[in-house]
Amino acid sequence: MRRVLVANRGEIALRIVRAAKALGLETVLAASAADRESVAAREADRVVTLGPAPARASYLDANLVVHAAKATGCDALHPGYGFLSERASLARLCEENGVTFVGPTSASIEAVGDKLAARRLAKAAGVAMTPGSAKLANADEAVAFASEIGFPVVTKASAGGGGRGMVVAHDAKSLAAGFERASVEAKEAFGDGTLYLERYVERARHVEVQVLGLGDGRVLHFGERDCSMQRRYQKMIEEAPASALPDATRTRLHKAAVDLLGSINYRNAGTVEFLYDVERDDFYFMEVNARIQVEHPVSEMITGADLIRLQLEVAAGSPPRLDQRDIVTSGHAIETRILAEDPRRGFLPSPGRITRWRAPQGEGVRLDTAIEEGSLVSPYYDSMIAKLIVHAPDRPRAVARLRGALEAFEVAGIATNIGLLREVTAHPDFLANQLDTRWLESVFLPHYGEPRG
Amino acid sequence: MNDITPRDIEALLETFESSNWSEMKLKIDGLELFLSKSPDARSSVDFSEYADKAPAPVAAPAAPALAPQHGAAPDHWIAVRAPNLGTFYRSPKPGAPPYVALGQKVEPMTELCLIEVMKLFTSVFAGLSGTVRRVLVEDGELVEFNQLLFLIELDS
Repeated sequence: MRRVLVANRGEIALRIVRAAKALGLETVLAASAADRESVAAREADRVVTLGPAPARASYLDANLVVHAAKATGCDALHPGYGFLSERASLARLCEENGVTFVGPTSASIEAVGDKLAARRLAKAAGVAMTPGSAKLANADEAVAFASEIGFPVVTKASAGGGGRGMVVAHDAKSLAAGFERASVEAKEAFGDGTLYLERYVERARHVEVQVLGLGDGRVLHFGERDCSMQRRYQKMIEEAPASALPDATRTRLHKAAVDLLGSINYRNAGTVEFLYDVERDDFYFMEVNARIQVEHPVSEMITGADLIRLQLEVAAGSPPRLDQRDIVTSGHAIETRILAEDPRRGFLPSPGRITRWRAPQGEGVRLDTAIEEGSLVSPYYDSMIAKLIVHAPDRPRAVARLRGALEAFEVAGIATNIGLLREVTAHPDFLANQLDTRWLESVFLPHYGEPRG
Repeated sequence: MNDITPRDIEALLETFESSNWSEMKLKIDGLELFLSKSPDARSSVDFSEYADKAPAPVAAPAAPALAPQHGAAPDHWIAVRAPNLGTFYRSPKPGAPPYVALGQKVEPMTELCLIEVMKLFTSVFAGLSGTVRRVLVEDGELVEFNQLLFLIELDS
């Protein structure tokens, strides 16, 4: 492997260009017309313009990207995250054209990309999933099953979703009463009143394990992350480790992720996402992300690993001599996503020219960005403009460092979520780490912007 | 430059296919599209010989001509640019004469070249009436989106 096509934009394109150059690889950036003047374009050895700004005519066209790789003599292609990164078709196109895909095989992407197929894999590997029943004939059967798995439970319509036929029950009595109602509702909505039952997770945390398959059958993990701070399923703050987990649970979580991806001889970086039930101290498999993720830096900060470099090394067929025992975590890291969005206007994207950009610096502060003063935030793409990452010996000190960094961060010309992040990170629930996936939307945001007094 | 994408063209093709129209002509900005259900309307081109052509060798990249070259050409010489990245071919197949030669008169529907992306060939049309004054790319060269391909002197 000697020349890599970077098929992405923004901070991750820059991150990949730098990691590749550090390994002595040549880099070709495949950019849209909007990104020809980007920092990544400046630092890459060569830039080619795929097409116009809209992603579907540039970054989302697998044929264009692979053609660019071949025509510029690249023998490898790094897809970054988003765009085409989890399309099995891109990985296959690379495989068929002798271009090394820096990621899993197309077969692996397919195996974990389909939710039902992924659940079958998880089940076969003995990984825990949300306990659920088969179809239930009546309320008595439902109560019997719920008593077995424990309350609370939620009824679900066998024939459809969207909240119809869903009743949350905290005890046998309310389940018996709710069952008929749910069944009638399902019958009306889907023409079929058949119900099944699932354990209801009242307070859930989103936890995930960073893994790296070395391609020789071994799958290593780099600890877990807690990404419970979300808005509309978009992560906003990510931490490593997930300090709310008891150590025994953490160990089981790592094993579940390694078992799952080990069972398909997974190659390169991936993440296994789980739902963590705070009350029961139990976790359930959600899905696999077959790519490097936005939040990978927090895992790098606590392990000292360079995951992008490792991705390239694994793809080159020279996996590092790394053993699970060598991967030791230390301290606590937090990442906040800096977005060109206006929280006071319904998180409306705020593209435009950045007239002032004073990024925080200092010990344990890292900023992954492709923005500089004068940069234009394009309206064509995702609104994330930077990732502010801090690292400290423990969570309280990491939070303090983060708050200081957010305080020092000055951006003008466009609206950002920095003000919101300052308030979130000052909230008693955040300081006490009393969070779950619904916290931001149900506890914090309803009162955001109200005068305090 | 226009915002028409390959997908838009696919949608147009589908509309045309399912219609009872015999011909369709469309002109938007720099794009011209001519569709016909008659097999005699255009001769088909055999691309098979292109398909196995080795990829262009990697050379130090020439600065792509993205901006108009000021002073290089008279005002009434109009640029024809690449609609996307791809490999540029001047003739319908290797060894065949090029679609157009210097000094040749062209009409809007005159084919100027092919742009190939993973063995998919797209024709680039002149889009105007005039005379070919410059061919700015070598056969088999990688071209980028918006790169200058031809300069055509507009009929006065």
